[in-house]
Amino acid sequence: MASVTLANLTKEYGDLTAVDGLDLDIDDGELLCLLGPSGCGKSTTLRMLGGLETPTSGEVHIGDERVTDQPPYDRNTSMVFQSWALFPQKTVLENVAFGLKMDGVDEEERVERAREVLEIVEMGEFADADPGDLSGGQKQRVALARSLAIEPDVLLLDEPLSNLDKRLREQMQLELRNIHDGVETTFVHVTHDQNEAFTLADSIAIMNDGEIEQVGEPREIYDDPVSLFVEEFLGDTNLVDATVEETVEEGIVATTEFDEQIQVPTPNDGVAAGDPLTISFRPEEFDVSRVATDGGQLTESAAHGDVTTALEGTITDVLYRGSSVRFYIEIGGTSVFFEQSVGDETDLEVGDPVVVSWDPEDLLVFSEGERLGRGGT
Amino acid sequence: MSEADIPRERVEDALFRAGYWLVFAVLMLPIVVVFVTSFQQSSYLTFPPSGYTLEWYAQFFGSEEWLGAVRDSLAIGVGASLLATVLGVTGSLAVQRSDSRVAKLLPPVVLLPLLIPPVVLGLTLLIYFNRVGLTNSYVNIVVAHTLWATPLVFFIMQSVFARFDWNLRDAGMDLGARPSRVFYHVILPNVRSGVVIAAVVAFIVSLQEFIMALFLKSFEVKTVPVLAWTSLQSSLSPMVSVVSAFLVLTSILGVLLSAAVMNLEWLAEQL
Repeated sequence: MASVTLANLTKEYGDLTAVDGLDLDIDDGELLCLLGPSGCGKSTTLRMLGGLETPTSGEVHIGDERVTDQPPYDRNTSMVFQSWALFPQKTVLENVAFGLKMDGVDEEERVERAREVLEIVEMGEFADADPGDLSGGQKQRVALARSLAIEPDVLLLDEPLSNLDKRLREQMQLELRNIHDGVETTFVHVTHDQNEAFTLADSIAIMNDGEIEQVGEPREIYDDPVSLFVEEFLGDTNLVDATVEETVEEGIVATTEFDEQIQVPTPNDGVAAGDPLTISFRPEEFDVSRVATDGGQLTESAAHGDVTTALEGTITDVLYRGSSVRFYIEIGGTSVFFEQSVGDETDLEVGDPVVVSWDPEDLLVFSEGERLGRGGT
Repeated sequence: MSEADIPRERVEDALFRAGYWLVFAVLMLPIVVVFVTSFQQSSYLTFPPSGYTLEWYAQFFGSEEWLGAVRDSLAIGVGASLLATVLGVTGSLAVQRSDSRVAKLLPPVVLLPLLIPPVVLGLTLLIYFNRVGLTNSYVNIVVAHTLWATPLVFFIMQSVFARFDWNLRDAGMDLGARPSRVFYHVILPNVRSGVVIAAVVAFIVSLQEFIMALFLKSFEVKTVPVLAWTSLQSSLSPMVSVVSAFLVLTSILGVLLSAAVMNLEWLAEQL
């Protein structure tokens, strides 16, 4: 158990900067997910934490100790590798006992402790098996047990679930969560899968291009993304280009790709008429209903005058995606989507005219990649 | 068009096979001659032999000179093989996963002894060893053969390590093993067959090497090829065929041993 501090951490490979002045604090006992697309430097960061890469500059602290220059065998961290890296010539039990053997624990005790840890990951009956005979999920459990056996201060997980199929992955996410609650060790989990991060994490650090974009609790990040990158990475949303028409006291009036002006109540410092914006309409914020034949709803939206919170469109596609149904709507030449759970879905069909409305408070507005009212603006 | 192509393809196929067997026969013929003449009756090397006898084998096993040469060859072969394996394996390990300049420069430098003609190497070593006062022929020939065998071990290990999963090394270090223990507990068990094969190759190379051994021989220390050459100079006796037969057999045994090691590994994976 220990907290972790990374300060101004940088790793360069020749001309390539993999990690660029990264600062991150991880609390004792926290489960932090480093989330980012491939090549963003998240694995390199993890390997620097474990001592498998030497930082070009910057500091790594675990607990009160500066470990920047410590080799991996002197650090009390342990990594679960993406390929699991089980020793093929050793049995499952020997794999799990390996770290204890290197620590000089005598044979009787290390076998006993290895068996205990194998029980935790429900692999007790496979103690004498050859790792080559195990399935992916079982290998993953053994790799986890091998790392837990040395009771590390910090457990490092390098996308260990990415080679598992979807169902097993989701099951392991929950088990990993339970194991974390049981051992109270600090976990740093690297993943490119935002669902995994949201399922597992106490807090999420989103990385892009060698830098941390945002750190926070999952809910906080989802509700309050600082940048367009974070918003795009968190999941499917409708990003609509717009141009600032004027800044008003309550926010911004912008012309959108829908060929309609809308008003967004957002801080408007630093933007002026003519600036390009990107507005995120999250699919769950849309309220969609079929246009009443008497046109009653349209009159209602027209009551807002020239700033619109509802637009008229046409359903162009209906996609069944298993548990949900996704509807695509064309509004003024631009396509947006929203989803409904199977069972709750309305009887909307392709070609139906609909009215799409939203609460302007829910819209997220980005200028030059930064969220208005957050980040640097 | 295709109808004409099929017989043509067959002809080409047959020609290829004939050529293949011809080359094989040309390569194998001297070995056959060696084996056959080692059993011949007359005391002067002729082919085909007029009669057969085991007398030359009896003479070989009765000759203190020849048995001494076998002992020298084996001792030098084992010494050179051990030294070349240690140097080649550790050298290759050192340049793995390293982006330092030395690591980039080492492979071509290691290759150098193979590119220098053995005559030049033998002569140079003879002068050098005399200069520094190294007069033990065993040591001298072992060093010369190590120089020759180390590049082979090095490059065999380069390809063995290229297939090694370096995450295993990382995992070992991560679990608290220092580099020497990682090598012993994690790397070595995974590359063992490669190391054995490299050592066998080094041994065979030392056993067969003639030119440097000729330069560095002494009255007491002569390897088998050197003694064969010396005795050939006085007479073309079938004894030379007996010795050559043994040399060929040893090499075949070495190859079989390597194959057995690889198969054992394969067998172990199947179980």
